[in-house]
Amino acid sequence: MPIRFAAALGAGWLAAACLAGPAPAHEGHDHAAAPPLPATVAPRGEAVSEAFELVAVAHGGALILHLDRFSTNAPVLDARIEIETPEGSRWAAPAGEGTYRLPAPWLDRPGRHDILATVSAGETVDVLSLGVTVPSAAPALSGARPSAPDGVAGRLAGRDPALVATASGAFVLGMLAMLALRARRAGPALALLALGLTLAFVTRAQAQDGRADAPDRGAALLDAAPPPADSARRLPDGSLFVPKPTQRLLVLRTVLTAPATVRRRLELPGRIIPDPNASGVVQSSVGGRLSPPASGAFPHLGARVRRGEVLATVTPPIQAVDVSDMRQRQGELDQQIAIVERRVERYGRLAVTGAVARTQLDDAEAELAGLRDRRGALDRIRREPEALVAPVDGVIAQAAAVAGQMAVPGTLVFQIVDPDRLFVEALSFDAPGPAEEASARLPDGRSLDLAYRGAGLADRNQAVPVQFAILGGAGGLRLGQFVTVQAAAEGTRRGLALPRASVVRGAGGDVVYEHVGPERFVARAVRVEPLDAGRVLVSGGIGPGRRIVTEGAELLDQVR
Amino acid sequence: MRTTTLALAAGLWTLPASGHEAAGRHGGRVADAGVFHVELVTRPEGVDVYLSDAREAPVPVAGFRGTAILVVAGKPARIPLVPAEGNRLSGRAALAPGERPRGAVQITAPDGATASGSFR
Repeated sequence: MPIRFAAALGAGWLAAACLAGPAPAHEGHDHAAAPPLPATVAPRGEAVSEAFELVAVAHGGALILHLDRFSTNAPVLDARIEIETPEGSRWAAPAGEGTYRLPAPWLDRPGRHDILATVSAGETVDVLSLGVTVPSAAPALSGARPSAPDGVAGRLAGRDPALVATASGAFVLGMLAMLALRARRAGPALALLALGLTLAFVTRAQAQDGRADAPDRGAALLDAAPPPADSARRLPDGSLFVPKPTQRLLVLRTVLTAPATVRRRLELPGRIIPDPNASGVVQSSVGGRLSPPASGAFPHLGARVRRGEVLATVTPPIQAVDVSDMRQRQGELDQQIAIVERRVERYGRLAVTGAVARTQLDDAEAELAGLRDRRGALDRIRREPEALVAPVDGVIAQAAAVAGQMAVPGTLVFQIVDPDRLFVEALSFDAPGPAEEASARLPDGRSLDLAYRGAGLADRNQAVPVQFAILGGAGGLRLGQFVTVQAAAEGTRRGLALPRASVVRGAGGDVVYEHVGPERFVARAVRVEPLDAGRVLVSGGIGPGRRIVTEGAELLDQVR
Repeated sequence: MRTTTLALAAGLWTLPASGHEAAGRHGGRVADAGVFHVELVTRPEGVDVYLSDAREAPVPVAGFRGTAILVVAGKPARIPLVPAEGNRLSGRAALAPGERPRGAVQITAPDGATASGSFR
């Protein structure tokens, strides 16, 4: 009967232990057991609903509550949180940036504290329940170090092997000493006694050393272990523990993934070129000496010029042979003019009397006019330089004018570009159709909206040049700057569209960070395809309905 | 004998987790609250909460108290619960809580330990 009773008692204990184990899962409980948090973080609890994420931290006799939106992880600034405390219901006071504070002396009591929070923000009302387990004070202070058994009683209870060995050694030594005494051999007995005493002292000293060690180490631990600073860290299972204050600092934002069907995309290398209809070059048609326009100065780089504005003048030089040629021609013309002038005068007089026909006078007058015109042009050509005018409105993009410089015909003196009208020329291996949407990404991360303008037929490096106009503002772009063009192509793809910044390139490929718990993030390897300048298409690795970090993923990747 | 009891304990251990939002024996919804199960039954004039242990055995509620916070018509309604009889705690509400209100129930045991279960 006693055996049976004992068996029954054992079974009862076992059953009780089993039942006190993990409670069966219900709503409001995490199914997947999260790995335990590091011992140094402050006691905390968390709850999640469709609208909110609430993290409660017990710190310094107060309950610090961090409230964020569930889907975006944005702090909820204007919420009212009512907490059911053992002293009744209390309002938590806002402490800035989605943090709320409630003095909670009752939290000092070790054990699990069940917290019921009623959260109202705008139209959304939620009741969240969470539990904060406050550890008992002693392990918390010693950094969860298992307390070493102290004193002989404790060591006996702990069956310290050193103590047991020392005791047995002393026993054997004592027996030997007694045997020696009984055999009346004082020498060996004394030697054994001395050995025993020495051993005793040595062990005592060791014990003291050991004991002296322990508090020192404890003190060192106490000094080294910071107060619960709750720093972000990588947990042994690879997930990241990022406390809410750190999340606020890193400005982590998430987005709920949703499947989408998108056009297939091509990624093309391209560069910025001027719009052919809104840019121009200023070249000299004749060789000559450059000189500033009437305003007195060449337009400087970046100066805005208007169409028809004179930017420079070119004075063609006159060669020595030309000068003598012109002198000769000038003399000839002057001579002919003098002759024809006299003839006109004479004909004028005779025509009145009828001795000379009227037509002869007219011919002579016409000849005189022609000669004078030729003489005048000869003068003008020597005096008048060629004016270089701006062909379009725009900004001086390139200037090569130096006063006094000799320009060769066809030299580019100025290039004028309208900075608001630029093109992107990309090289494509398969000609994209007239895509209705295209975009370009700059190396610095900015993106440009593009409109298809046309594709060439002539091969260039085994590829076809495709031109796009930049829509909207094109400020800050340089000609020749390299861009990556994303153009739509035939066919559609299905996947999850995510901002480009949410994908982190690591050694093991592309990863995104999933927000699995209020303070937990897990890296998920994904297959990524280009979508457009600002987004990528995740075609594998994660499913819809997950919360993926869109801002601060790079920073999260640095957490060790 | 020992083997039998061990087997019994093992059987208890491997019992499947009890249902989610399971319909309770009083026609309400059951949620886990710490070591207890709470069944929330709404009435037009208030709520009843039935307390049972992990094995669905009724727990006498003498000395217990509780609070139900339910979202009624977009506003939180706080309903204090007092022991009625057996394993039933009861509370009166100003507004009819409706069929399936969202919210949570917090139970305070006579020793001051609290446990709460939420209903979505």
